[in-house]
Amino acid sequence: MASARFPIPQGTLDMLILQTLSLGPAHGYAIAQRIQQVSREAVQVNQGSLYPALHRLEQKRWLKAAWRPSETGREAKFYAITRAGQKQLAAEKETWDRLAAAVQLIFNEGS
Amino acid sequence: MAQLLNLLPWRRRRLERELDRELRFHMERRVDDLRQAGATDTEARRQAALEFGGLARVREDVRETWAWRWLDHVGRDVRYALRTLRRSPGFAIAALLSLALGTGVNAAIFSLVDQVVLRPLPVSDPDRLVHLVWRGTTLTTGWGYGYLMSYPLCRDLQEQREFFDGIFCRHVTTVNFSTGQQREPVRAEIVSGSYFPALGVRPALGRLLDVSDDLQRGAHPVIVVSYDYWMNRLGGSREVVGRKVLVNNYPMTVIGVAPAGFPGVDPLAPPMLWVPAAMTEQAANIDAYWDRLLDRRAAWLNVLGRLKPGVSADQAKAGLQPWFKSMLEADARREGFPRVTAEQQRAFLTSTIDIVPAPRGLSGRRGTLERPVWVLTGGTLLLLLLATLNVAGLMLARGAARSRELTTRLAIGATRARMTGQVLVESLLVTLGGGALGLLAAPGVARVLLAYLSQDSDMSVHIDGRVFAFAFLTSVATGALCAIAPALQTGRIPLIASLKERSTQPAGGGLRLRKALMIGQLAFTLILLVGAGLFVQTLAHLYDEAAFPSSRLLMLSVNPPTSGYSPSDAEHVMREVYRRLREVPDIERVAAANTRIFEGGAASTTLTIQSDKRFVTDGAVARMRVGPGFFATLGTRVIGGREFDEADVRPPGAAPTAYRTAIVNESFARRYFKDRSPVGYWLGLGNRPDAVTNIEIVGVVKDIGFRDLRDTEREKVYFHFWDRDSDGGTFYVKVRGSGDSGFAAIRAAVARVDPALPVTLTTFDEQIERSLRTERMLAALSTGFAVMALLLSAIGLYGVMSFVVTQRTQEIGVRLALGATRSGAMWLVIREGLIMVGAGTAIALPAAWALKRLVDAELFGVRAFDGPTVALAMTVLAIVTLGGVMVPAWRAASLSPTDALRLE
Repeated sequence: MASARFPIPQGTLDMLILQTLSLGPAHGYAIAQRIQQVSREAVQVNQGSLYPALHRLEQKRWLKAAWRPSETGREAKFYAITRAGQKQLAAEKETWDRLAAAVQLIFNEGS
Repeated sequence: MAQLLNLLPWRRRRLERELDRELRFHMERRVDDLRQAGATDTEARRQAALEFGGLARVREDVRETWAWRWLDHVGRDVRYALRTLRRSPGFAIAALLSLALGTGVNAAIFSLVDQVVLRPLPVSDPDRLVHLVWRGTTLTTGWGYGYLMSYPLCRDLQEQREFFDGIFCRHVTTVNFSTGQQREPVRAEIVSGSYFPALGVRPALGRLLDVSDDLQRGAHPVIVVSYDYWMNRLGGSREVVGRKVLVNNYPMTVIGVAPAGFPGVDPLAPPMLWVPAAMTEQAANIDAYWDRLLDRRAAWLNVLGRLKPGVSADQAKAGLQPWFKSMLEADARREGFPRVTAEQQRAFLTSTIDIVPAPRGLSGRRGTLERPVWVLTGGTLLLLLLATLNVAGLMLARGAARSRELTTRLAIGATRARMTGQVLVESLLVTLGGGALGLLAAPGVARVLLAYLSQDSDMSVHIDGRVFAFAFLTSVATGALCAIAPALQTGRIPLIASLKERSTQPAGGGLRLRKALMIGQLAFTLILLVGAGLFVQTLAHLYDEAAFPSSRLLMLSVNPPTSGYSPSDAEHVMREVYRRLREVPDIERVAAANTRIFEGGAASTTLTIQSDKRFVTDGAVARMRVGPGFFATLGTRVIGGREFDEADVRPPGAAPTAYRTAIVNESFARRYFKDRSPVGYWLGLGNRPDAVTNIEIVGVVKDIGFRDLRDTEREKVYFHFWDRDSDGGTFYVKVRGSGDSGFAAIRAAVARVDPALPVTLTTFDEQIERSLRTERMLAALSTGFAVMALLLSAIGLYGVMSFVVTQRTQEIGVRLALGATRSGAMWLVIREGLIMVGAGTAIALPAAWALKRLVDAELFGVRAFDGPTVALAMTVLAIVTLGGVMVPAWRAASLSPTDALRLE
């Protein structure tokens, strides 16, 4: 079952969702598609964890949701990032950058 | 907050609907996309479902984000538990009732324990209150209960400011109180001026007593009344301050009202008024023979103090010793110090002063109530534990019956933790329900207990927040306890095996737990049985002790001063009543005495004894004044000399002199005269060197109790009732025929003296019954507990053994088919029952041994770990449990081997 796709680390999914939505509102299916496309299919979103994550972020008021007609004409639940969500995204990005930089330093030393 | 709102049912429904739509939209889009990529309709649907994973699981995970997870679970578990409980009402009722019983009795007892033992005095910082106790020989004559000191010593202690913010003393008495029209006896506390300041109490009205009200003997005719008395008897008017009143006929002025709820230092016997110690002579019912106030050998005050902040009781104690030692030495050199033996002198000089924390104040009644109340607490806790085990057993049995349901739920994805939570919620639901029912019953139970326990009703039934909290915590604790066994069992269900199992029989793991619970129940039952045996025997022994001709004995108490007689007129009334009673033909004997026996009280005095040498008693000797014929009336044997006769009676009108004759009891004679007869020797009152030994001992009588029936073996001295002026007393009357016929004749005789004279007329039987209330209650309750325990155990055992027989049907069938006898099959079952009884006994006996100290003080004539009682209790337990085992055993024996084998 070796796969070229990464399983998403715990907690990272929230950040990816926020990032995706910072570009504009979308429904759950579109979010999953977009994450996969942008990562060139490298990141596979497990739908089993997508919807719990969306609802969790909504409960935390980082996202707000509204029912609107989708591109196919059917009603879909569209999520949009809130001001608090943007703040959270900025904070998480910074943490991520610092961690990545630190990990890179350690790798560099070894080589 | 949103999460809480999400628990609301309508909100909940909308969320569910929307989630459904959202997920459906996702699936349909995916299917569309896959179809566009070329898949057939079926393939696309299959692929989409596969990618998505368990739809139910996703829903569940999303739901958890809506509300706090546990809250949501609890809500759903409660609904689920209510549904399942409704489906098995038999279990629900049995469990609820046994827990209601357990919690109700416990809450009632707790409300008493709280009042008697736990609650601190309602004053500021009660933790700094201490009781000052003289350890060693005091060489004093005492009035009152507990450790007593003299007024001068209390004044000395008030100078010890290094460790204390205040020292005060108090004495409880009953005074005749009058506001003009009516007179009534009320409880009063005689206190030093430092009392209210040291306790830190503020007045509700006017001012309270302070040091300036306690300076000079007889110079401060002022009192403070209690809030309750002011509201209920004095009309609650503000004009009460400055009002003139009579205390024992002495005019005094009300200066203030104590705050509401302030009970003095004895929460179980709050006084109605407070009188400064300087007014003792005027206010107290003085025993005129001593001048108590300034006498250092007259001990009548409880001394308490308030420690300075940061000073511990031990520090104060250590710091006080040097001063106390020099005080003792000064005392011993003082003029009027008793002439004592070298040994007594040494014991006196090596006395110490102890500082005992007293945040709950002091209470004479607490001493007599505390132990019975703890014993009851022990009994009720055992009962509650037993009920808990019973319910746990019931839940296990239910769990076994529901094991298919549980395993199915496990298989479709419920976690074991969730299942355990479910069990806990169900168990808590049952115990909280039982607790609520119990709380409803608690006031009734408490009232019954109070009627038994307390002679007069200063205690009240308080089902307050503390009792409520207690019942709640108990219910939660029992709920958790009940859940342990079933939860363990749920955790152990072997999933695959039990799903495969075709029969509905559950796995055997639950049975072992049920047996363990059963053994626990049997152990508790045995302990309760032993307790019941001990208390019933104690009661029987005490009834033996009450070998009076009690059905024909009556007690008639008269108190002429309450209807306005002066002391000398009262004396005349007493003599007239006595004369009239002796003329009644229905009365066989009549004798006067100063007190009603078996009411918990006894006066005492030190004595100087003059035989071939002169010496003083080691401590105070209980004393009572009785008239001629007292012992003949009570049927108490005179074993040496004679009892008082009419010739000893001081003629009416002659001046009251000191006592002239005395009778001592057997224990007194044994202690102070060894094997000689004390008759013909002399006694003097008190232990001062100048005590005159002019009271002749004329007789020795068998021991009888004063305070209660247990009190027989204390040393006692009787003086002649008519030697002294008596403004009241009790006539002990022995009638011919039955007691009832005597009532009318006695009332008529009294009415001839003064028709308006109030009398208290009771039978001696009633008096004995009343004095044995606590013992009767312990015997009745412990028996009741034991019977309930036996019933629960027998039913429990029946349940377990029936289950065993069902489980072993095939095995027994095989045995029978292979030639085992029917009695053999029966024995198989009985043996298992007996093993459990044996195991229960093995646990119970050491526990009963450990509980010995708790009950020892309440017993009489029987030891706490009494061999025959234990043996009897074991026999009863074995018989009753065998009864429970017999039916299943019989079923095992009557199994048809072919039927049993055909089962599989």
